[in-house]
Amino acid sequence: MFASWMPGGAPRHGRSRVPAGPARRRGTERVAGGLALTRRGAMRGLLVSVVGMALAPVVAASRPLRRRHPRDSSFDEVYRGRHIFGTKSGSDGRAAFTGGAWQVTVDGRPLHLMRRADGGYLSMVDHYESYPTPLAAARAAVDELGPEEQLRDMDDGADGGRGTGTRKSGTEGSGHHHGVHP
Amino acid sequence: MVYTRKDVSTLTKAERRRFVTAMLEVKRRGEYDEFVRRHIDYYVSDGDGGLRTAHMAPSFLPWHRCFLLDLEQALQRVDPGVSVPYWDWTRDRTPASAPWTKDLLGGDGRSSDRQVMTGPFAYAQGKWTIRAGVTDGEFLTREFGRPRKPIQLPTRAELKAALDDPVYDTAPYDSTTTRGFRNRLEGWGHGTGNATWENHNRVHRWVGGHMLGGASVNDPAFWLHHAFVDLQWSRWRQRHRGARYLPERPPGSRDSQYRRIVARHEKMPPWGVTPASMEDHSHIYRYA
Repeated sequence: MFASWMPGGAPRHGRSRVPAGPARRRGTERVAGGLALTRRGAMRGLLVSVVGMALAPVVAASRPLRRRHPRDSSFDEVYRGRHIFGTKSGSDGRAAFTGGAWQVTVDGRPLHLMRRADGGYLSMVDHYESYPTPLAAARAAVDELGPEEQLRDMDDGADGGRGTGTRKSGTEGSGHHHGVHP
Repeated sequence: MVYTRKDVSTLTKAERRRFVTAMLEVKRRGEYDEFVRRHIDYYVSDGDGGLRTAHMAPSFLPWHRCFLLDLEQALQRVDPGVSVPYWDWTRDRTPASAPWTKDLLGGDGRSSDRQVMTGPFAYAQGKWTIRAGVTDGEFLTREFGRPRKPIQLPTRAELKAALDDPVYDTAPYDSTTTRGFRNRLEGWGHGTGNATWENHNRVHRWVGGHMLGGASVNDPAFWLHHAFVDLQWSRWRQRHRGARYLPERPPGSRDSQYRRIVARHEKMPPWGVTPASMEDHSHIYRYA
């Protein structure tokens, strides 16, 4: 006998899949996605220059690749052999309104950050602790990566999963706000 | 018929085998990875906008109760006699204890890459490939106690401190809430260092590897942990007769939590059930 725990009918088991690409309807996400593409292109160039360092033995201290931007504390460094890069977008009207969105990568792959109400940042790799800055969250994520492990580029859909961060679940739909961090 | 969730340390050999077999079959059918993705999708943090249901919110407990029931139902489609056992981490506190045996969840990850090498969920067994992960790693990872900066599992006294709180949750009903049973149990701490994790959160940190990230559901330990967390809600209700889920009513339009949390009689996505309707589970299952 098929027993359903829910009052009044069988539970929904499937999860409506959000189609790739055009599903990113929300303005901030579109902005974030656009920047990510641009950044990813830029990162490929950067990666060529840092590949030696990335393959070098783990270094205890992080090495800045370029001077930090004093205003937004963008970062671009090698930490324990991983290239971590973070920048805050802020050139469009929405970003000005929301305070901008952080885009962070580890070895060129997006690291999704979320904000905590206390102002801290959580990453997808380390979901049960928050850090005072995106840089601290990125370093903590690197601490949790295995020697051969890379972030999955959840935006490309190649994993068969998702990561666009939107889920429609009726009128009370909940959204996962990957990459949107006012 | 009401079924029973048992302490994992009391399962018979046959019960352990049936639970593992059902888990592997749910995975083989492709249903399991949907649970992983759903948990990722519903992780909305309280510093971002939008409705929070699964974490940093009063509905942390009913959301995971529904989530467990869905998994349990998937398991029972394979074997109607299976339920999710609970892991009492205040008692079974070592890597050698339940549920980390070879015939159940397997043990700690190896030091080089944290890969779980023992038990039915080890990658080499070929039945537990990680597909819905945050990283590209295909094998299950764990790092008990975080050796480079050791942390202990929550103690009985720490859990009791949560259970002793007579109020379910308090404003602002998020991760910064300092009083109330819900966040004392969910465990967003307010100190520094290891004090930043309490109870539920600390267990995720102690297991480490996949359990630390957004794709924590990839570790079957997730369910045994959350069954024990779910049991605490039942114990809390027994201890504080008449105490209820809060907030009773939705926050007003001027409240910072307006439309961001689920009040007691509001429908909770994705199931559309109310927290009030999930407080009593005695007609579905009981704890042994």
